[in-house]
Amino acid sequence: MANQSRRDFLKTSALLGAGITGLTSKPVKAAPKNILDENRMGVLVDTTVCIGCRKCEWACKTAHNLPTQPLESYDDRSVFINMRRPDDKSLTVVNEYPAQESNSFPVNVKVQCMHCDKPACVSACIVGAFSKEENGSVIWDGDKCIGCRYCMVACPFQVPAFEFEKALQPEIRKCDFCFERTKIGKLPACVEICPMEVLTYGRREDLVELAHHKISLYPEKYYNHVFGEYEVGGTSWLYLASRDFSELQFPKLGNSPAPGVSEAIQHGIFAYFIPPIALYALLGGVMWLNKNRKSGEEEQL
Amino acid sequence: MSENMKPVPLPRKYFTPTVIILCLIALVGIIFISARLLFGIGAVTNLSNQYPWGIWIGIDVAAGVALAAGGFTTAALGHIMHKEEYHLITRPALLTATLGYTFVASSVALDLGRYYYIWHPLIMWNGNSVLFEVGMCVMIYLMVLYIEFLPIITERFIGRVNLPGFLGKFNNQIDKLLRVLDKGLNKTMFVFIIAGVVLSCLHQSSLGTLMVIAGQKMHPLWQTPILPLLFLLSAVSVGFPMVIFESVITSKSFGLKPETNILSGLGRMVAPLLFIYLSFKIGDMVIRKTFVYLTEFNTASVMFVIEIVLGIVLPLRLFMSPSIRRSPLGLSIAAFLVIFGVFLNRMNNFIVAYTPPYQFTSYFPSIGEISVTAGFIALEVLLFRAFVMIFPIVSIPQPGTSKTKFSVRGV
Amino acid sequence: MKIKILYWFLIPLSIFGQTKIDKNHSSQNIKCSTCHSCEIPTKENPCIKPCPRESMIRIDQKAEDAPRILTIDRIKETDIYAPVKFSHLAHAEMSDLAGGCRTCHHYNPPGNVIGCSECHATQRQRTDINKPDLKGAYHQQCMNCHRAWSGNTDCISCHEIKGKEKVIASVTSDGKKRIHPEIKTPDKIKFDTNIKHGKQVTFYHAEHNELFGLECSDCHSNESCVKCHAVEKVKSPKKLSSKEKHKKCSSCHNTESNCSSCHSNFEKGGFNHAVVTGFDLTKYHGKLNCSRCHTTKSQFKGLKNECKNCHGEWTWENFNHKITGLVLDDTHGEFECENCHKEATYTKPECSDCHEDKSYPKDLPGKKVK
Repeated sequence: MANQSRRDFLKTSALLGAGITGLTSKPVKAAPKNILDENRMGVLVDTTVCIGCRKCEWACKTAHNLPTQPLESYDDRSVFINMRRPDDKSLTVVNEYPAQESNSFPVNVKVQCMHCDKPACVSACIVGAFSKEENGSVIWDGDKCIGCRYCMVACPFQVPAFEFEKALQPEIRKCDFCFERTKIGKLPACVEICPMEVLTYGRREDLVELAHHKISLYPEKYYNHVFGEYEVGGTSWLYLASRDFSELQFPKLGNSPAPGVSEAIQHGIFAYFIPPIALYALLGGVMWLNKNRKSGEEEQL
Repeated sequence: MSENMKPVPLPRKYFTPTVIILCLIALVGIIFISARLLFGIGAVTNLSNQYPWGIWIGIDVAAGVALAAGGFTTAALGHIMHKEEYHLITRPALLTATLGYTFVASSVALDLGRYYYIWHPLIMWNGNSVLFEVGMCVMIYLMVLYIEFLPIITERFIGRVNLPGFLGKFNNQIDKLLRVLDKGLNKTMFVFIIAGVVLSCLHQSSLGTLMVIAGQKMHPLWQTPILPLLFLLSAVSVGFPMVIFESVITSKSFGLKPETNILSGLGRMVAPLLFIYLSFKIGDMVIRKTFVYLTEFNTASVMFVIEIVLGIVLPLRLFMSPSIRRSPLGLSIAAFLVIFGVFLNRMNNFIVAYTPPYQFTSYFPSIGEISVTAGFIALEVLLFRAFVMIFPIVSIPQPGTSKTKFSVRGV
Repeated sequence: MKIKILYWFLIPLSIFGQTKIDKNHSSQNIKCSTCHSCEIPTKENPCIKPCPRESMIRIDQKAEDAPRILTIDRIKETDIYAPVKFSHLAHAEMSDLAGGCRTCHHYNPPGNVIGCSECHATQRQRTDINKPDLKGAYHQQCMNCHRAWSGNTDCISCHEIKGKEKVIASVTSDGKKRIHPEIKTPDKIKFDTNIKHGKQVTFYHAEHNELFGLECSDCHSNESCVKCHAVEKVKSPKKLSSKEKHKKCSSCHNTESNCSSCHSNFEKGGFNHAVVTGFDLTKYHGKLNCSRCHTTKSQFKGLKNECKNCHGEWTWENFNHKITGLVLDDTHGEFECENCHKEATYTKPECSDCHEDKSYPKDLPGKKVK
């Protein structure tokens, strides 16, 4: 008897396993708002031009009403000693990587949200507080957020930051591509202020073309790779550099979208609710059969 | 055998030295909980932008959910497979699961930056989010668990409703209500039992999917697309050991004779389940060729080896031995190892394996975090003891009584 | 023809005001497609390609023609800083050493300089993102050198903060002081090399400009500003090939062979005509420029040590022997020169042909004068 039940149980769990693993190749469904607009905007960051003046950091803070030191203090280059990351108090930071040869310049890299085309945060957010907007921005809705920080776990670039020290209404903070500015036809604050025009704002498609054009014009100046063109399914922010991106502490990422596998599993398990319902029916059937057999046995006794 | 076994409240002296220590641990936990509520997550935890999730998610939630798997596995065994001999362990398992999930939910709430918005997922849906699915499943399953628990309450109070003071005049109505409830539940309970098993399978596995989106931030020894399957298999494997362990402890604590026969019956089922879990885990490692990471000596590889050897292989061997299965001590040691293995697996998946691409400091839980986790566990044990004393949970031999209506019914 | 007329309308608003694209630039020997992406460029749509930096760039203006100081105030989005007063002349003067006007005016059809804003949009927000806007273009151009030689990217090294402008004497509009200060050149430079025989090369810089009459730009072209302006001169770790090391010299010197003419184990003396060629110039030719004799530019070989190379045939009639400090007596006065001077350089007379008992310089064929 015990043997019998065990076999049944094993069968059930085997079926379950098959149900979970077998349905992993469903196309990823996106919410209507998250369908990519072909005119979505982006920024091409040419790190070979950047001088590390950090005006973008100042402009960003000013545009987002974050507390900031006076502009003059941004000339202080000692901040480059340590690698910095965007956090809840500064949504973008510039880092410096020392020159490789004495006659070349140090490389400055601005870091902020990459505004992925297939954002992990949008996929992950339990309440859908993140959205990929038509103009390319990935923005956060403070009215929805419950502060679970799953977006931070999901983000392959480690960008969203959380106000850990706040007891009430802590926010998830990250670059919003100046959504409030672009909505009224202004440029993102960092793009507007950049003296060197390291940051070129334009249609993402045009920027990809421009990036490749630049590489073909100056093959000796650029490392032949446009970071963000394909990484994690493409990002709105694209980077050019004079050397391998891994030397500049860009994460090594594949070309498949970050949320791809988890969404495939998720939609596999919940394909039109068929697997859960099937499991329910199966268990119901097993229960009914066992009960009947039991009562039959008892009657025989 | 079950003919003369009947779940009854076990009136004992509540405070023992152990209970007092547990009370103190719980008190410290509560102090830190209030600190978190007053001053924010950052004031109490070591969480940062690099490590957004700590032990409150890795242990309280992930391991908590896994270790509460006894509820659905015994429900599946006792009611769906209809093994009546196991009915008498379903109630303690159900209580563990109910308390466990209640504390999982509390831990989640505590970990949320905006705990007062915990109801948001009910109306703000994101079907792509694994967390949304886990959240919804856990929420519904918690409701199901409460419903499954209701018959125990009705059983306790039908005919014994005795409210104090002026409320006394409602005694009759409440008694009637309880009887109606009891009758209705008796007929529909199977719906909830099956739902409970289905929901458990769903969220136990989805808990694994949760970390899939972290992609390369997770150590390759653990990061695999079959994480949901591994989580489900390990949850199923840990269900019975959890029941065994808890039953042995309860018996010991209340001075009862351990139900060795039933427990060793449960123990017989553990080995094959562990074997399946182990083979999937090893198979996954071989297919993805992640064994190369075992040649490195670091926290990840050591933890992985401990998880496999102490948490799966050793208990597998122990559970295969009939002599160990027959002794309560052997059973509890073997069961403890499985629990330890799954506990470690959850902690590894959520904490050890998580390596942020930009790492400035490494994460180790703060005193506050540990205190809160320990406090929750202590509270759970304390409540378990209180419930066992108030409600008919644990079955004890009844001298020569026949099967009554309320013997071991429903769940 | 139509196109030519259209070009008349292409009167650019350049920072030089009066300058414009050469109206005949379409008849130049350049393919239109070098600069224009469409077949028929119009004023509205000149469809100029982004910065091709082709070899055709030519500028027919001199630095002196341009204003000394330019106030860069065409950028629409001036924000925190006041417009830069750019000392164009000071920069342009040096440009000869660095690649000429095209160092900055990197894309200019033959003719006068066209203004930067001709190509670079004055506003950041624009549709054509193929080339940087004016603000970006200026900064990219300036910072490229400035950060290299000063290592400084502070805005205030060029800009003044708006509203806090100080009137500094050197920035006044006439900009008299804003020229490149005189360059001090070394007399000689010693190079240590790793050649076994001849570790030292002594380079007489002053000699090259003053004696040999070389212009700075004859040797220093396409140099970067850093070459002189770098705060810290770091030795390039790059291993240069022998050819690259000798590049500067090999345009005049044969560096393939004859190493010892420059390399030696001790400090070599400067150029000495007598030692190198055997023809002493100190006595009579000291004040002459090299080119008086070496008439072909940078061609110093081929002259034999003979006076007639330059002076023609001398006879007793056309040569006034008095300038040598010796007036010949009557007996010797009418001899042909070769009778006494056997050498082509007329150095030492030979007395023994006629006089057995006389010898120069003990006996003189005349009287010494001063």
